[in-house]
Amino acid sequence: MTAMAARRPVPDVTATVRVSGWSLHLPEAGPLAAELADWWQVPVDRLAGALAGAVPADRAHEVLGRKGLLYKEPATRLALCAAHRALGLPPGRTRPAGVDPATAVVVAGNLGNVATVAALARTVRAEGGRAVSPLAAPNASSNVVSSTVALWFGFGAANLMFCSGATAGLDAVRAATLLLRAGRAARVLVVGAEPADETATGLHQAGRASSMLRAGAACLVLTCDAPTAAAGPVLALGGGYPAARRLGPGGFDPATRWGDCYGAAGVVNLALAAALLAAGVAGPIAVACGDDTDGRREALLDAGGAAEAPAPDGRREALLDGGRGADR
Amino acid sequence: MPARLTASELRTCLGDGPQTFAALLTGRSGIGALRHGEPSALNVTHGYHLDDGAARAFAASRWVADCARRAIATAGLDPRRRRMVALVGTGLRELAAVEAYATGGPAVPAHRLHFGDAVRAAVPGLSEVVTVSNACSAGGHALALAEDLLTLGDAEAVLVCGVDATTESMLAMIGRVVDRPTDAVRPFDADRQGVLLGDGAAAVVLVPDDDPRPALARIVATGLSCDAHHETAPSVSGIARAMRDALTRGGRNPSEVDLVVAHGTGTALNDPAECEAIRQVLVAGGADPLVTAVKGATGHTSGAAALVNLDVAQRCLAAGRVPPVVGLRRPLPEGTGLRFATTTTGYAPRLVQCDAFGFGGVNAVTLVEAP
Repeated sequence: MTAMAARRPVPDVTATVRVSGWSLHLPEAGPLAAELADWWQVPVDRLAGALAGAVPADRAHEVLGRKGLLYKEPATRLALCAAHRALGLPPGRTRPAGVDPATAVVVAGNLGNVATVAALARTVRAEGGRAVSPLAAPNASSNVVSSTVALWFGFGAANLMFCSGATAGLDAVRAATLLLRAGRAARVLVVGAEPADETATGLHQAGRASSMLRAGAACLVLTCDAPTAAAGPVLALGGGYPAARRLGPGGFDPATRWGDCYGAAGVVNLALAAALLAAGVAGPIAVACGDDTDGRREALLDAGGAAEAPAPDGRREALLDGGRGADR
Repeated sequence: MPARLTASELRTCLGDGPQTFAALLTGRSGIGALRHGEPSALNVTHGYHLDDGAARAFAASRWVADCARRAIATAGLDPRRRRMVALVGTGLRELAAVEAYATGGPAVPAHRLHFGDAVRAAVPGLSEVVTVSNACSAGGHALALAEDLLTLGDAEAVLVCGVDATTESMLAMIGRVVDRPTDAVRPFDADRQGVLLGDGAAAVVLVPDDDPRPALARIVATGLSCDAHHETAPSVSGIARAMRDALTRGGRNPSEVDLVVAHGTGTALNDPAECEAIRQVLVAGGADPLVTAVKGATGHTSGAAALVNLDVAQRCLAAGRVPPVVGLRRPLPEGTGLRFATTTTGYAPRLVQCDAFGFGGVNAVTLVEAP
């Protein structure tokens, strides 16, 4: 790591970015698995594993252990669960041995802290600022999800939070590819997370009434390593690629079928694409997010390497990742 | 990696870029009575407000749109004829609208919380506007991404904006951690009381390093790091990593840095940590930089702060003058060995380091030199 920091990084314009680990953390997504399997014509048991095990935010301790979750908002808890699972960690808190300066965190989400901000405003009006808990302070800042993921796992490279609306998920993915190609990180965790509390739902409903906000998260572990059999599917950004089928607006859209993860949708759809490829669906799969207001973003995911073995869920791929997270 | 700065437009409590720099040179502060929220309830009595005579609802969107429009006009770019991306750095987005909703106001559509609509409307032909919410160093993180987009050939020009307007929830947090209300921001002062918020917006245009058009400054590199250390307290090692990252990426030696436009928030924890990181990275590397900071005059403009520092840096390079740290009377003991600008100094820096550190330990350090 020190050697990396001391060398002037050389930008790699043509680098191949791979999804070397991924997770889906969508509570109560059983019906989605069934619809997905039907649409893509794969046996549902091949997809069920990838969508199983997603506890809701108030049961996050079952994945993360009990310590450290006080004052953590639902979106932060879901994001931590998704990252934990994408890294292939066993249940319970694993404290980082130190700061890993080569792993970056990029999070997409818009509504994670709106309930806290609303509650703070109400408390100040009703009881004054002294009634506010200083422990809620980090939640007043919109980047609390990304900085918490970094702190929890000890990831010290760049840390970014995208709050760009419906495009945030693929905006975050794009930024992650920049960090890898520009030599700012050797590995990037991209997390999408949204809550579905009353305040979040009210704001979402006022802007995107055609779908229902749904709490959920997903995580992608992106690397720029040389292709190997276990390196994971290859990611390309931008539209216009020929693709047999499509996930997101204009194709199989989880937002209209199951629920809208809004800012997380781009990451959720990419992780679903990874799950489908792992389940044996032939690629490439086009992935999209966005809407008429915020614009649209697209990406393409295709099986990478010759020996891409179908995995029953995201965890196995993450364990094959070989990254330090998998060893912890 | 290097890029050229071809436009830089500001709005702070002191005015636009030239007005802000002129006020800084005379040591003037833009502080005034708090105009957002109830001072006694918040334990905050002062702010550095931008008063444009309009209502405060969606003020951040209005200010950043204005800066974006002016920056694009100054740069002479047509987004319809170039591959262009806009990045907007912000700490608080339009969360003031969520506070209004929570306390009896109408529900705002979720897309009004970020700045895509506002910036697209201000800059016709711009399709991609991305809001990066990275606390008090958001503008610096947006700069880093802009440099990467240009270096990797993913864009031909990048509009980088930064903006924040005061929110009650953040004011409550600022008031909650002090015994009595802070009466002024005093960066690097032994008797500093804490931070106060400043309204601010900025927009800059970056083009590739080989672009032939006249430039205001050359962005040598922006270094990034995350402390991964503590939710709110800064870490010297995390800050130092960002400083070293900028030097490494720019291929520069620490001894070349001769001016620091510091983050300098006037808080108990930031200022000593920043001093120590400057000592460990720059002074130990052979530098003896002059250190200045603007937040005593502008307040903490959060998402805009990195770009406010950048604008001041490019004006120092152009004018050969460095403004004093407004609010600094007696340097903090932890600043021993550092040269703080205490009066306007005739000084011709060659390589300027601009610091921006944010909540959650997100650090961005930008090196800038004359074009």
